[in-house]
Formats: sequence, C-alpha cells, structure tokens
Amino acid sequence: MTPRQQRMVLVLFILAGAALTVGLTVAAFRQNLLFFYTPSQIVADEADTAGRTFRLGGLVAEDSLQKSADSIEVRFAVTDTAQAVTVSYSGVLPDLFREGQGVVVRGSWQDGIMIADEVLAKHDENYMPPEAQAAIEAAKTLEQ
Amino acid sequence: MKLPLLRRDLLVAARRPGEWLIPLAFFTATVAIFPLAIGTRPETLRTIAPGVIWTVALLSSLLSQDMLFRRDIRDGSLEQLLLSPRPLILAVLAKAVAHWLACGLPLIVLAPLLAAWMQLPAEQLLLLLVTLPLGTAVFSLLAVFAEAVAAGASRSRFLGGMLALPLCMPAVIFAAAAVAGDAPAAPLLLLAACLSLAITVLPLAAAGALRASAQGI
Amino acid sequence: MGTSVYATLGRLASPPVFYRIAEASRIWLIGLFLLLFIPGIYGALIGAPPDYQQGEGYRIIFVHVPAAWMSLFIYVNMAGMAAVSLIWRGKTAAICARASAPAGAAFTALTLATGSIWGKPMWGTWWVWDARLTSELILLFIYLGYMALVASIPDRRTAAAAGAILLLVGLINIPVIHFSVDWWNTLHQPATIAKFGAPSIDKAMLMPLLLMAGSFMVFYLAVMATMAQALLLEQEASSQWAKQAAS
Repeated sequence: MTPRQQRMVLVLFILAGAALTVGLTVAAFRQNLLFFYTPSQIVADEADTAGRTFRLGGLVAEDSLQKSADSIEVRFAVTDTAQAVTVSYSGVLPDLFREGQGVVVRGSWQDGIMIADEVLAKHDENYMPPEAQAAIEAAKTLEQ
Repeated sequence: MKLPLLRRDLLVAARRPGEWLIPLAFFTATVAIFPLAIGTRPETLRTIAPGVIWTVALLSSLLSQDMLFRRDIRDGSLEQLLLSPRPLILAVLAKAVAHWLACGLPLIVLAPLLAAWMQLPAEQLLLLLVTLPLGTAVFSLLAVFAEAVAAGASRSRFLGGMLALPLCMPAVIFAAAAVAGDAPAAPLLLLAACLSLAITVLPLAAAGALRASAQGI
Repeated sequence: MGTSVYATLGRLASPPVFYRIAEASRIWLIGLFLLLFIPGIYGALIGAPPDYQQGEGYRIIFVHVPAAWMSLFIYVNMAGMAAVSLIWRGKTAAICARASAPAGAAFTALTLATGSIWGKPMWGTWWVWDARLTSELILLFIYLGYMALVASIPDRRTAAAAGAILLLVGLINIPVIHFSVDWWNTLHQPATIAKFGAPSIDKAMLMPLLLMAGSFMVFYLAVMATMAQALLLEQEASSQWAKQAAS
C-alpha cells in the first residue's frame, strides 16, 4: 500500500469505529439505565425488586408522613403522582426532607412495605428567595 | 504482515513464563482471599463476586503491563520498530493482541473455577464469560497506550499502571454491572462501546506517544 | 474558530515574549481578582437572599459551582493547548498546559470537597456513587496522573508530547461529566445555568455567582502564568533572555 492508501484506510477505520461507538451508546441508552425506579415502574412490576435491594425515586406524598410515638421510625408514601409506595425508615432524615419534596430511597421489601436503609433528598435546579417562591405560589392559587 | 511482531512477542512470553504466570497466579490467589477474609456465606460471596472478579482482573492486567515496552527500549528494538517502513499502528496492535493472549485469555479459561469459588450461578457465569473478552481487551489496549505514554519515563515503575487505572474505570463499572445481572443489556452495550472506542482511538494515540518518546531515549 | 485563536496565540507567544507579558500582567491580574472576589464573596455570604428550599445552606454553591466549571474549563483549555503543542510544536503552549494542571486538580478537589459538605445536609449523605460524582472523581485521577507523568519524564519534549496525548485521550471524560445529570436520573440536580432557556436562578443570586466564577477564572490565569514563568526559566536557563530575566 502507498502511504496515501494507508492514510485512507486509517481514516475509514476511525470513522467506522466512531460510528460503531455512537451506535452502541445510543442502543444502550434505549435500555433502562437507572439510578432509581419510579413508583409506577415498581407497581407495574417492571423492576423485579423481590428479595433484593433497590432504589426508589419520587416525591413524598402530601399528608403521608407519620411519626411513630415510641421509636424513631417514620412512614411516608413516595409517589410519582400516578402510583405510590409506602416506605418505612428509622434514622435521621436530611434537612430537605418534607412533604412534596423529591427523595431517593434505598431499601427492600418486607411484608408489602419498603424498609429503607437510606433516604436521600433530591433538590431541584431552581434557586430563588422565599418571597419569590411565595409570589409564585400566590399566582398559582389565583389561577385556580 | 504484522504477524512476525506478534510471533516475536508470544515467543518472548513463552520463553519467560514468569511474566504472565505471575499475574495469573496473583489473580487466582487474590480472588481466593475474599472468601477467606469475608467469610464463606454463599449469599455474600454471590453479591460481591462480580466486583471482586473484575477488580482483580484489572489489577492483574496492570501488574503485567509493566514489561510491555521496557525490554524493547532497553535492547533497542523499539527504535528498529520506529524506523521500519511498516505502519507503527500495526506494531502497537500486535503488542495489544500479545498482551491479551498472555494475560486476558487465561482469565477466561479460569473464570469457571472462580465462579465456583464465589458461588456464582450459571447464568451469571455466562455473563462473566461474555464480558471478560470485551473488558480484558479494553484493559490490554489501555495497557499498551499507558505504557507507550510513559515510555519516556523509564525510571518510574508503575507510572503506566497509574495512568491506565482511571481510564479503565468505565469498563470495570459496566462489566461488573452486567455480571451483577439485573438488567445486563445496557451495561453490555456500553462495555462494547468502550471497546470500540478504545480500538479506534488508542492504537493511534499509542503510536504517537511512542514516536514522541523516541526523541528522549 | 477556537483552534485559530490557539494557533495565533501559540505562534505569537515565543518564550521571552510570553515571559514579559506574564510579568507585566501579574499585578493587574491580582488586582482584577480582588475586584471580582471581594464583591463576589460579600454577595455570596451576605448580599444574596436565602433559598426558598435550602435556606442558608445553599450558599456553598458560590464556591462549588464556579469550582466545578473551572475544573472542566481548565481541562478543555489544557487539551486545546496540548493540541497546539502537538500540531504546531508550540513551546509556550506546552508549558501553559503543564502549568495549568495544579490549578485544575485543585479546583476538581475543591468541587468534590464542597459538594460533599453540601451533600451531607441537603441530600443526607457525604457521597453517592452516581455518574456525576464518579466521573468528576475520575477527572481528578486523570489530572493527578498527568502531573505524575510530566514530572517523571526527564526529556522536556517527550514529556510535553506524552502529556498532550494523555490529555487528548482523557478528553472523552468531559462530555460524560457535563451530560451525566441529563442522561442518568442521578441524585445530582440538572444544570441551572448552562442550559437552553433562561437560567433558573434568581438575579440576586446569579450576580455573586458570576462574580465568583470570574474571580476564579482570573485566579487561574494568574497562577498559571506564574507557574509557566517558572517552568520557562528552568527550561530556557541557558538562553540569553532567561539569564537577563532571572538576574
């Protein structure tokens, strides 16, 4: 092969390799590649969670938080507005934990309840002062 | 056309069995440490098996990459390679194939034994056998690349290993996730993507680095 | 366009010219840094209102976010200079890439440390192994590996070329870091500012954030220029201009 032909082969090889890499990556992202499952996936049994530790992500349902009287156990429901899963947790909750807030919970099933060994709060990408938040809430109420 | 180089590297490996037998023995013995140290509960072993086997596979690849170019630099055959009219990239690929045959392939042969030690069920052993060729091929390509980049620093041992280690992490993540086996399709595809990216980019980069190192030797 | 800027800079900046420019601009860079940093840190700690959700604790973003931007920016900048040093044999570009590494590694470590400190109260954990955090950690290892590599190759040209090739291969990690929060549903929040549409941050918070980012950038330039000067003097020790400059 002349050097020119060699260079052509090299360029073709690199283009083919790049195309294959992109194709494989795109195919992978079509699959489930999840840090956590949503309650709808859990309820529809897409996640095959029986007997193993998994992560559940969603919002803490409004008015679902129950504190136990004699222990530090708390119970709450995690929802994606369509389905909900009840979670029980004994431990210190993060600062951002409150009803309506996004959480990621790790745990496993026990008698139809998810027993969590870790509760993490997910916060959104919006930053504003409390007054601005109050104004947005007021505007929403007006619309309704 | 590139076969004489491959033949030579394999011949050298055959004459000095210590260089590839030691990483292999290291691999086997280190995997055996885990049941002894952590306890022999089958559930525990099954849970940690993918991570343990892949971590140790990475370590044994790093352990055996040290000699890739060192001897060639010392006896001057690297300079001969650089002067030869054949494309350097083929020589680099031959190095990677030789490294893989000497230290990736034996791991695949040993995998059923290790799976038995770690109480890995058959379907996960199958995934291990699928991921091992892909992942160890990525390791071999990265080993050749890292040693080529570090070729100018002949005094510092294990520098090449330090360079290869972070670049190997994605392959370890995807391979171990595939063997852990809840949803193996996505990590398998990503592991294949790693290999295709590695084979596209690394031989070229390694050849460039070897050329650069020739100025300093 | 990016490469042509690098090319012009690379050809214009012969070592003595670069040395003189760096020497003259240092005092201005330090002044500019203070000019941006003092109002920035005042706004960050006192001026900006608390967040509606995270209260006072969110103020760590004024360090965390600019540091994270810098950790990526410096890497891309180093890779650009590495490409120049490979293609046009730019001596100064190679030196600047090498002089950038400590600042890049430091900003990456700062990003990980502040993220950790922020994560504990807000998420409830010091560390999670999700895509964003893991890839930032790998970035730190690549920085450290690069520094170890260029430090242990005695020949200057070999060190520059080998380091440049390592930087270019490691570049693959950068898009993974930036897009990891969009591709995987990780615990880390998605982008607030570098996204399509208006930034979703209040103006009173955005101003100090941008001031801090600007001050970090100037800080990086000052540190890089000073380290590059030292490296240049060491390398060109036998040349006439270096002897004059050092005396």
